[in-house]
Amino acid sequence: MNALEIKNLSKSFPGFQLSDFNLTLPAGCILGLIGENGAGKSTVIKLILGMLKKEGGSISILGKENADTLTLVREDVGVVLDEVGIPECLNARQVGNIMRHTFGNWDDTEYARLLKQLSLPENKPFRDLSRGMKMKLGIAVALSHHSRLLILDEATSGLDPVVRDEVVEMLGAFTRDENHSILISSHIVSDLERLCDYVAFLHKGRLLLVEEKDRLLEEYGILHCTREQFDRLPCAAVRRRKETPYGIEAIVRREAIPAGIHVSPISIEELFVFMVKEAR
Amino acid sequence: MKGLLLKDLYMAVKYCRAYLLIAVVFLAVSFAGQGGFFVMFYPCIFAGMIPVTLLGYDERSKWHVYSGALPYTRGEIVSAKYLVSLIVQCAMILLTAAVHTLRLSLSGSFVPQNLFALLSVLSAMSLVSSSLTLPFMFRFGVEKGRIAYYVTVGIFCGCSAAMTSVVGADLAMDLSFGNAFALLLPAAAGIYALSWYLSILFYKKREF
Repeated sequence: MNALEIKNLSKSFPGFQLSDFNLTLPAGCILGLIGENGAGKSTVIKLILGMLKKEGGSISILGKENADTLTLVREDVGVVLDEVGIPECLNARQVGNIMRHTFGNWDDTEYARLLKQLSLPENKPFRDLSRGMKMKLGIAVALSHHSRLLILDEATSGLDPVVRDEVVEMLGAFTRDENHSILISSHIVSDLERLCDYVAFLHKGRLLLVEEKDRLLEEYGILHCTREQFDRLPCAAVRRRKETPYGIEAIVRREAIPAGIHVSPISIEELFVFMVKEAR
Repeated sequence: MKGLLLKDLYMAVKYCRAYLLIAVVFLAVSFAGQGGFFVMFYPCIFAGMIPVTLLGYDERSKWHVYSGALPYTRGEIVSAKYLVSLIVQCAMILLTAAVHTLRLSLSGSFVPQNLFALLSVLSAMSLVSSSLTLPFMFRFGVEKGRIAYYVTVGIFCGCSAAMTSVVGADLAMDLSFGNAFALLLPAAAGIYALSWYLSILFYKKREF
């Protein structure tokens, strides 16, 4: 079963249009939604969660498509938004009390364990927590009701590298269960590169690419060469090139490059930047 | 919905202490027989505004967005605020009526039959004030909806002043204006129910 299936989703605002958006997240996988600020990542997530009303298409979450069952489905979906959304005067203990009466499958023991693991103070008001701690509290809540799907909107943005590492580790641990899936959006591509099985590039409301991360990294590479070497390459091999005083740097399809030419590995970030520039 | 009510209770305890203090001052002034109807009614109208304050804090912390990702329907989110409003208003109405009754009893002018009329007026004032304000808040958000709040408070200040000038500022006056009071409470309850329904309707259409 797919954790998430989006077909032909559309939504428009003045100056922005999301159209024919298709995305599938298989169960047990992590999909990173990568896009610049304003690309439409949060719009997609809000459409999935029913915070925005879709103009067309269908969204199936954990096998349930009907909008009427969305409230029930949310029992199994853990959500962490960019601004976590917990009232500022509440502390972690009070948040736990509220969530106990919110989620039918809330697990007090798991919540207490996560608070301890993440070194979150129980009695400190939310407003006095650092950005990293706020985010960790949001994640602790999302993981304490036996969610099967986590939806994280820019959950790693603004975190220091140590906290980001902790968060990425926790998310990795969550998906060790093959029924658990994660949809995570970010414009910090390096976080997603470490974490994701699939990546989707979003640009101005349009999906540029959805692919298995490892396959992308196998398919593309970076070639550093001279002008003469570059001119001998088959046209189909080159996706983009940049001339520097030291030669040419090109993003190439590995399989189209003649044997014997060294192609360096490419990062998802380099590939994303290339595809966005190409789309402009 | 218990979770939503608990959250509002925590927030009310934290953010609405000033309301309680102001209510106590107004009740004390009213007990001293000063200030006319406005002073007597204002704590009840004020109590009706507590959900508006809570909505403001919800928007500031983005809870209104986050709650959309929790297993609550839009109807439950709205209903929680209306229930909080009812609980707070009932408490304040009973407190105001108790203070008024005590004052009249001490002066020997308490007429038990008038207690129902007093409760009706207080309930109507309180319920109608929040009924007029909340649908705007749920439709437009707190910032824009706040205009409705000011208009409501303005209307009630005007009504209180008009009432005082018609029947006098003496709170020991006879409240038995006939059976008109018997209609006040059901009418206010009807307006409250309509407001509740409209707020759910507006909030279901709102996007975040």
